Amino acid sequence: MIIEMKNIQKQFGGLEVLRDISFGVDNGEVVSIIGPSGSGKSTLLRCATFLETIDGGEILYMGEKAAHTDESGKAVYVHHKDLRRFRSYCGLVFQQFNLFPHYSVLKNLTDAPIEVQHRSREEAEESAMELLRKMGIADKAKAYPYQLSGGQQQRVAIARALAMKPQILFFDEPTSALDPELTGEVLKVIRQLADEKMTMVVVTHEMPFAKAVSNRVIFMDGGVIVEQGDPRDVFDDPKEERTKQFLRVFER
Amino acid sequence: MSLSTMLSTMAAGMLRTCGIFILTLAGSLPLGMIVALLRKSHFPVVRLLTRAYISVIRGTPLMLQLLVWYFGPYYLFGLSIRGWRFPALIIGFVLNYAAYFAEIYRGGIESIPVGQYEACEVLGYSKSQTFMRIILPQVIKRIMPSVTNEVITLVKDTSLAFTLAYQEVFSLAKQISASQTSFTPFVIAGVFYFLANYVVAFVMERIEKALDYYR
Ligand SMILES: Nc1ncnc2c1ncn2[C@@H]1O[C@H](COP(=O)(O)OP(=O)(O)OP(=O)(O)O)[C@@H](O)[C@H]1O
Ligand SMILES: [Mg+2]
Repeated sequence: MIIEMKNIQKQFGGLEVLRDISFGVDNGEVVSIIGPSGSGKSTLLRCATFLETIDGGEILYMGEKAAHTDESGKAVYVHHKDLRRFRSYCGLVFQQFNLFPHYSVLKNLTDAPIEVQHRSREEAEESAMELLRKMGIADKAKAYPYQLSGGQQQRVAIARALAMKPQILFFDEPTSALDPELTGEVLKVIRQLADEKMTMVVVTHEMPFAKAVSNRVIFMDGGVIVEQGDPRDVFDDPKEERTKQFLRVFER
Repeated sequence: MSLSTMLSTMAAGMLRTCGIFILTLAGSLPLGMIVALLRKSHFPVVRLLTRAYISVIRGTPLMLQLLVWYFGPYYLFGLSIRGWRFPALIIGFVLNYAAYFAEIYRGGIESIPVGQYEACEVLGYSKSQTFMRIILPQVIKRIMPSVTNEVITLVKDTSLAFTLAYQEVFSLAKQISASQTSFTPFVIAGVFYFLANYVVAFVMERIEKALDYYR
């Protein structure tokens, strides 16, 4: 298991957003998370990537505890020095890209590897160019983010996350901020990563994509996992009434 | 007094004006950033004190502040203020402008989307790396127009040094005008200020252009 989250609880000022969520992701697995707005999907990813702190439960990366609940019922995290190591295991691709506007595409990809991971400039630039080629935007290396289309920006953001060589990559609705005609190019590179057995968790509203690419689908609603399993089972033969209701909206 | 003596006396005054200008910027630009950061400190006392400092500075005339810095040591502590004129002047200007710059910085920092911080956090940047490498460069670009305004105001504000009878160009213009019963010194001073602001505007525009490579 790359990541294991056990009995995760998270509240925002009394509002229970995650209630007792448990799930794990195996090496090479691609997991899609679907669910209605406000069901806690983003919050779950943000807890997994340490942008939010959990109120209860356990987070393990590669079998090692990053956070757990002590006897008093409070969630405690490892020391922040160790947390940096856990952070390096995971990457996150945001809905809004969040590229650094004052850096060129290449520098967006190399700055953290050089400054945070202390890798050499040559090596960082070489592997960055390799990633940009893979994303089909090698010719944009010297461009600045504002000069790119949304689809290109999101591919840069994916490359930036991959440049850190994470064990697992999380995507929070990577195509929701894009014009419909640009979603395809982003989904294509994610699919390509799936073929290369990159471990990924993708929150998405793109049902055909989730069905085609993922090994497992998780349907979340109201801060709990309502149903999960093989995408064909969940999409074509959902067991739970809430899943059926949710999927009916996407059918045409 | 011949026109050339007048001109050279006032040019010397203009140099002193430039001295105030440069020292004020050199002190207040960095100090303003420290104040802006202290204003967001984790310690409520520090936050309260910086806010009090900013509101006192902004709520009272700079002229009055200069007088307080100059005469304060004597009236409050009975200290001699010989040789204290110029230091008091610079302290007064720096502390005044730092408060204004702090507010500009604060606005700039708050305008950076939270997603920039989150991207840094996920990529493993430390707090100081995040600020120095990602946030600050974007803040500088965003606040340039307000900083330009403030700097141009400063060129004109240097004339308040006359309050402490410091011999900068405005004090000299007044003195020479009175002693020679001539209007010319004011014209010369006006030209000097205008030229100085012309240079400032040119430099600031250059800096803004240099930051134009991204949006
Ligand atoms: N920082 C926060 N403070 C307070 N409430 C929050 C915060 N973040 C999220 N919430 C609330 O938590 C709930 C779950 O939010 P979350 O963003 O995880 O949902 P989601 O499943 O990602 O929804 P969407 O599909 O709209 O992105 C929502 O009710 C939201 O308003
Ligand atoms: Mg969301």
